[in-house]
Amino acid sequence: MTALDVAAKDLKLLVRDARFLATLGLFSATLVLILSVAFGPVFRDPAREASATIWASLFFAGVLGLTRSLAMESETGGADAIRLTGADPYAVYLGKAFASFVLLAAVFVLLLPLTSVFFDVGDLSILPALAGVAVLALVGYAAWGTMFAALARGLPARELLLSVLLFPSLVPLWIGAVKLTHALWDTGSLESVRDWLKVMAVMDVLGLALAAWLFEAIQEAGE
Amino acid sequence: MKESIPGWWSKGAVWLWAVAVGMVSASLWLVVARAPVESVMGPVQKIVYIHVPSAIAASIAFGLTFAAGIAYLATRQWQWDALGASSAEIGLMFATVVMVTGPLWARSAWNTWWTWEPRLTTFFILWILYAAYLIIRSSLRGGSRRTISAVMGIVFAILVPIVYMSVTWWRGSLHPRNVTMTGDMRFVLQFSILAWLCFYAAALACRFRLEWAAEAAAREGDQAFHEARLAGEASR
Repeated sequence: MTALDVAAKDLKLLVRDARFLATLGLFSATLVLILSVAFGPVFRDPAREASATIWASLFFAGVLGLTRSLAMESETGGADAIRLTGADPYAVYLGKAFASFVLLAAVFVLLLPLTSVFFDVGDLSILPALAGVAVLALVGYAAWGTMFAALARGLPARELLLSVLLFPSLVPLWIGAVKLTHALWDTGSLESVRDWLKVMAVMDVLGLALAAWLFEAIQEAGE
Repeated sequence: MKESIPGWWSKGAVWLWAVAVGMVSASLWLVVARAPVESVMGPVQKIVYIHVPSAIAASIAFGLTFAAGIAYLATRQWQWDALGASSAEIGLMFATVVMVTGPLWARSAWNTWWTWEPRLTTFFILWILYAAYLIIRSSLRGGSRRTISAVMGIVFAILVPIVYMSVTWWRGSLHPRNVTMTGDMRFVLQFSILAWLCFYAAALACRFRLEWAAEAAAREGDQAFHEARLAGEASR
């Protein structure tokens, strides 16, 4: 079983679970709405407030998405079935991380226009750069999130624990994402905050490398 | 693998405690009697003789949890897990001391209890992660408890160098670094660091002894259970 097979399986399960996807979408939109009401009605620094809002909403929505696929596997015994195929643990991890990345990217695509409209920020010219920032942030989120979600599997109150573990660990990634998005929405350029691109790339590589080392042990502990 | 606690370990721990208590008492006396009062901040500056040694002890404790985590994953011996968990627990205690003494110092130096500057923020994150480590560890049982603890010990320790380097990497940090001190101040600080590291070693020896006792009790319990079951089967 390759990473692509695992990703295809996870994505197929997610697509079939339309009720969960709809709830996740609504939950994310509600978060943006709540934060925009809290910051508004007159925004002092719309670019700053909008960038904080989109990434904070994405974080909390992401926690639900990350725990979902592992929870489904625990309920149905899918994790054991994958182990029985003899698949390489890192391939399983990569497949799951890729599926989580796609889910998070879908949530980002939903939140971006909402945030832009509510806060009246951004234009189409910065979209490619913003997509690049989102890819950097979401790769890191999926890489660390999949590792931590596997670690928290089977624990009581796993969603809460996942938030407690993930948010502090990913602080460099979130600060980077907020600063870069803010710079793009404020000035249209990343020049002043270019260093954060390196920080985010390091976090992405670190998450993937740690998982390559530790995911087999985590998977084994979950049996 | 020895399951009962050897006598030399218990005796050694008592001696280590005696040295640690003596050194910590001496260091506190030095802080009060010998360390000069700083001209700008006054007596509040003396918090540094508790704050800095606690931060160093916490970093070493989390570093040991990291090393023990790697050793456990490589060897699967319970001693490494016990050592890592014991060290994390004592490290969190020292980190709590840092979190309490820091704002006391900041109130006098910066006129605020807390400010979101890099060293404070990253240290607070470190504290949260190790508190979560203990919560998660306490909710797990069996082999998974050890493996997950080892993984957490390795992953969370990555933040320790980030905390240390944060004042260099992030511009606008208020936290002092490379502070100039008089000879007496430097001596008292170095002695305090040594004293609190001794305290850490004594606490670690004691905490590890508890884990050892728990492991021995669990094994004895397992053995008694198996013997009782065998006896029950034989009498049927």
